[in-house]
Amino acid sequence: MAQPNLRTRQLTKRFGTRIGVDALTFDAERGEVVGLLGPNGAGKTTTIRLLSTVLAATSGDFSVAGVPSSRPAEVRRRVGALPESAGYPRYQTGLEYLTYFARLFGHNRADAIRLASRLLAEFGLAERAARPISTYSRGMRQRLGIARALVNDPDVVFLDEPTLGLDPAGQLQILRVVRDIAARRRATVVLSTHMLAEVEAVCSKVLILDRGRVIKWSTVAEVTAAVGAPRSAVIRVPLDQIGTAVEAVGALPGRTVSAADERPDALRVTTTGSSDGMNAVLAELLRASVPILAFEVEGTRLTDAYLSLTGDAGAAADADIAKGAP
Amino acid sequence: MAVAGQECRDLWLSGRGPLLLFAFSLLLSAFTYLAATNQAINFLEQREAVNLTLQIAVAVGVLVTLLVSADGISGERERGTLEGLLLTPVSRRVLVLGKLAAALTVWFATFVVSVPYIWVLGRGVSVVGQALLLSLVIGTVLAVGLAALGLLVSGLSASNKVSIAVSFFILLALFAPTQLPGGLPKGWFGDVLGRLNPVGAGLHYPTAILVNGHDWTQDLNYLIAPGVLVVLAIVPLTLLSDRIVQLEPGSVR
Repeated sequence: MAQPNLRTRQLTKRFGTRIGVDALTFDAERGEVVGLLGPNGAGKTTTIRLLSTVLAATSGDFSVAGVPSSRPAEVRRRVGALPESAGYPRYQTGLEYLTYFARLFGHNRADAIRLASRLLAEFGLAERAARPISTYSRGMRQRLGIARALVNDPDVVFLDEPTLGLDPAGQLQILRVVRDIAARRRATVVLSTHMLAEVEAVCSKVLILDRGRVIKWSTVAEVTAAVGAPRSAVIRVPLDQIGTAVEAVGALPGRTVSAADERPDALRVTTTGSSDGMNAVLAELLRASVPILAFEVEGTRLTDAYLSLTGDAGAAADADIAKGAP
Repeated sequence: MAVAGQECRDLWLSGRGPLLLFAFSLLLSAFTYLAATNQAINFLEQREAVNLTLQIAVAVGVLVTLLVSADGISGERERGTLEGLLLTPVSRRVLVLGKLAAALTVWFATFVVSVPYIWVLGRGVSVVGQALLLSLVIGTVLAVGLAALGLLVSGLSASNKVSIAVSFFILLALFAPTQLPGGLPKGWFGDVLGRLNPVGAGLHYPTAILVNGHDWTQDLNYLIAPGVLVVLAIVPLTLLSDRIVQLEPGSVR
């Protein structure tokens, strides 16, 4: 049986007494987009740095396209990465920048220029190829960074918060690129992000970390289904019907009703039941002849699941970071 | 080669190299003017004027080289460009050697700039050729040693400011004693101190030849300290490059 494209076993990184990543174990196949989630300080960036060999593991191992982590230079030939806070030489042009990196991956000058030009065209930067990177917008720089991550035609691509600071159009553009890398290039993409809507949109699997430990590794659908996370919705009804609505919904088991954002004609309903819990709420309101003026489910399903899994722990981790705990 | 070439382009096309070279030219112009004036009113002999200008050219040339190399790793770290380089299959040793080569281009550029100054001051006493050869040899040895030292400091420093400040201090500590009025204390202690200081010993050698008229082989032992500096800086830089070129200074890969 063929080995998974990306395979990690008990991968651990300690910084002194602090655990960066603890016994990380997962497999990912070609064409998969893996969402790497977790609160700040959960170990997402450390995971990417370990798997791209920028950091060496304290223990455990991994392989990329069958190449073991004991051969880091060879692993680097098979991975591409866009670091979280990638910097760019301001005076270099996009073409020079990509050409340089292509040369570092062993291309001769002519091949490197050809490859750089092709990538610039592919990422919609051909017209700016000869302009200094300092004139690029943030979105263009992010696309240039992803293009750089692809100069070696990698088997695994790591993207650390690629949409951070981009406008909605820029975010959509990057997500299209992510899908394309997985679908056309058949690479495994590991996408670290805080934007759960992005994960729902492009990822097939999610790896949720908390304080360096894996707390969930599954498909997006399985995570949302298995967690049974509470869902909430804001329902607006005529003001004179609010009492009837509260009475009707409050009678349903597993639902709590509260005021919504201090609006007298709206109520927030939270359900811990099955995924169709909100359907029962709507049915009950209709049965009680309460006109529904507006109905809005809050957050995404994955957001609910994520908060359910990391909620307190995530807040505690953030507090640790704020206090400067190691 | 690709790393060294790009580092050179970064240095010279970003404007940093030309700016440093311009500052060097201004300083050397002012100093040469003073030396020429003193020579004209017989405060300085012509050979002494040439030697003094050579010493300033070498000292400031290697200082500029040291400052460029001190920015090599810590600067990349702060600009966020180091991680991209670490993601390539190029070894960290090749990265530091490429940076070293780029930093040395600054020294060679300052040497080229100093040629006309030394030529103007030394016309008529047939020391120009000797002075330029001495400047090139001694300056290159010191520049290699100090640039390697600068990269070591850069790799181990918590910030770019710290790296540049420490490197600047190192050069001042090595160069200042050579410029004390009356030189170092006389006697065996002063002599040993003078020979141990790579910059002091390196700059003493051309003085002995150009001003005192010594034979080239007579004071060769003054070149031991600069040679030792090269070995002591290059060896750890290349052997420990994996530990020095890190995203976080001093962390273990």
